[in-house]
Amino acid sequence: MSTVRALSPQTKGTRRRRKAEPLKIFSFITLVVTTFLMLLPLFFMVSTSLKSKREMLKFPPTFFPESWQWSNYTEIFDTLQFGTLYKNSLIIAGFSVVGTLISSALVAYGFARFRGTGNQMWFILLLSTMMLPYPAIMIPQFVLFSHMNWIDTFLPLIVPAFFGSAYNIFLLRQFFSTLPEELFDAGRIDGCGEIRMWATIALPLSKPALATVAIFAFIYNWNDLLTPVLYLSSSDKFTLPVGMSSLTSSRFRIPPWHLLMVASVLAMVPIVTLFAVAQKQFVEGIVLTGIK
Amino acid sequence: MNKNRKTIACLLATTMLVVLALSGCSGGKSAGNTLSEENGSSTNAGGKAETVTITHYTIDSEDRTFVEKLIPDFEKQHPNIKVKVEKAPYEQFDSKLQTLIAGGKSPDVTSHWGYGGFAEYYNKGMLLDMTDLMKEDGFKAEDYNIPENLMNIYKVKDHTYGIPVNMYVTLMLYNKDMFDAASLPYPTSDYEDKSWTFDKMVENAKKMTLVSDDIAKTQYGVDFTWSERDMRPLYFGAEPYSEDTWTNGGVPSETYFDSPEVIAAYNKLFDLVFKDKVSPSTEWSKSVAGQNGDPFVAGKIGMSIGGSWNLAGANDFPFKIGVAAVPWGGNDKVRSTLYVDPLLILKDSKHPKEALQWIKYLITTEVQEKSIDLSGGNPPINTEAAEAYYKHFDGIDPQDIKNVYEGAVNYGFESYNHLITNYSQINDMFINELQPVETGHKTVEEVMTTIQKKVTEIIHR
Repeated sequence: MSTVRALSPQTKGTRRRRKAEPLKIFSFITLVVTTFLMLLPLFFMVSTSLKSKREMLKFPPTFFPESWQWSNYTEIFDTLQFGTLYKNSLIIAGFSVVGTLISSALVAYGFARFRGTGNQMWFILLLSTMMLPYPAIMIPQFVLFSHMNWIDTFLPLIVPAFFGSAYNIFLLRQFFSTLPEELFDAGRIDGCGEIRMWATIALPLSKPALATVAIFAFIYNWNDLLTPVLYLSSSDKFTLPVGMSSLTSSRFRIPPWHLLMVASVLAMVPIVTLFAVAQKQFVEGIVLTGIK
Repeated sequence: MNKNRKTIACLLATTMLVVLALSGCSGGKSAGNTLSEENGSSTNAGGKAETVTITHYTIDSEDRTFVEKLIPDFEKQHPNIKVKVEKAPYEQFDSKLQTLIAGGKSPDVTSHWGYGGFAEYYNKGMLLDMTDLMKEDGFKAEDYNIPENLMNIYKVKDHTYGIPVNMYVTLMLYNKDMFDAASLPYPTSDYEDKSWTFDKMVENAKKMTLVSDDIAKTQYGVDFTWSERDMRPLYFGAEPYSEDTWTNGGVPSETYFDSPEVIAAYNKLFDLVFKDKVSPSTEWSKSVAGQNGDPFVAGKIGMSIGGSWNLAGANDFPFKIGVAAVPWGGNDKVRSTLYVDPLLILKDSKHPKEALQWIKYLITTEVQEKSIDLSGGNPPINTEAAEAYYKHFDGIDPQDIKNVYEGAVNYGFESYNHLITNYSQINDMFINELQPVETGHKTVEEVMTTIQKKVTEIIHR
């Protein structure tokens, strides 16, 4: 229901604009051109992934591969332990998403719903952690996890997600505070506890925001390079970015760009899939937050 | 309210436990291995087998991680030593090393494979003085065919801090197809040939340069990327850093970047781009070859002066190439930059003796020869193994590579990036400050005063 209501002002807008035909054509052309420009790097990625090693060095570069090297897509599994890297990345990013969702939603709910002394101060303190760059906490955190004997395990990459992240807490808190108080009052009258209200009222109503957080958390962990580099030392635990960066790590070799592009194409798949799945919620999220 | 908070806490704790258990499972198998390995190294040290594990920290790329293939053989020869390879991508190499050391997990053996050079590690107090260790072991450089002058590079005040393992030199690669098209004779590989000079090179370059509006047709005669930017004056005989730098651990007491000699040297280099127009501008190079690429590889450059690592990709180049000497440019002593990579033992190493055994193994003639193929063409330091290296490249006369390598050692100077403290900062500063000159917006004279001031600041940081 809320979808229809949220989208309706926009639909009306387009209907009104239909009268101004030249403007519509102009915006259509602009959109097509922009789409083309946006898709160009993507096109080059796919096209390079199908080129031979020799063709990759050619200048000016060819638009379409002269001979289509589908074998590149199997070669990547020989060059890197691609399957293992993929699996590791999925495990880490997957658990981090679960962790971020649970912890951030809980904390955000607290910040949005409870009033207590120093409420504001705690929130500002939380936000201020966003200003700490990772290198500043890198070494102390490493020492901590090293004392816990967590080096070369996935734990240092997953467990912190279960302790919330300032940005996502902020995002969810803003969303939670827009939920009408009456719903919670009604819940309370029916004998609902806070946890139950969180799980049965706040969460279902916040699907768009949760989808947004999930996508952000997934992309962040999927792309993260420095943390896995620091904590993982056995090759069979490396993640995709770590493995892929090994292809460009030699200063003394021409990087195998064609294989790197194969890896990039394949690495994009989960993000595109996740976006497609969460798209409905995600777009709604933008529309809703855009209105407020 | 209180009750609620308790429930929240309980719920959180339960989820945490579940997830910990789950994630523990996913990485569990190997996590167990690590633990037992670590226990093995510490407890067994005093126990019956006295097995110790040393860590070799290196870059995660094929030309470095090949050492993993040597480990089984080494462990067979040294049953009491286990070697573990720890790796990081080039960009994160230094960060990870610093973190490992700070976290009490210092590797035992490594080299300056990241941005920081030997002098930086030395001045940060990260390196072990190997002098006594080597004396005790009876280590002699000649047993491994390492020339004495190369051993001296990593000595500070007569104390040895590193043992060389690989040596890259500066050489000229030329595109035979472009020379043939311009009907020019190939340049010599002989360093003693007095007719092979910088001016002669420019003359050749002019005949191969073709600047056209069509970017696909444009080609240049020479790309002169001799060493890092701050070292280039040395090629013309101008010394930008004071003599004491090379003996005191890389802290120059004086620098001379605003001296007329240094300025003249830089002007001569930029003339290649702006006056003689035989060299590509940085924008052109980047547009042809990408951010860190080399336009020579695209077949658009006649002669390319650079590190001998450029040879490594040679078998894939889509044109014929040759190897030549770096021409004489006004410095009778120095014509080639040497890039000698040492193996270093870190100060926090718990097993320096065993680490030395591993280093010694890596520089034996047999292993150095084997490493050429395994690494895909890393140049050995061991002169006996070097013979095999000269023959490694398809279509290039081994005699030419040998001439160029031997000439480079006779007329070589170790790269400044290994020898000067805080070098990564100096290098970044140089790239930034020289950029307006490279794009033609400022003159060398205009930027050199600033550079001189900034170098002094960085050195004394």
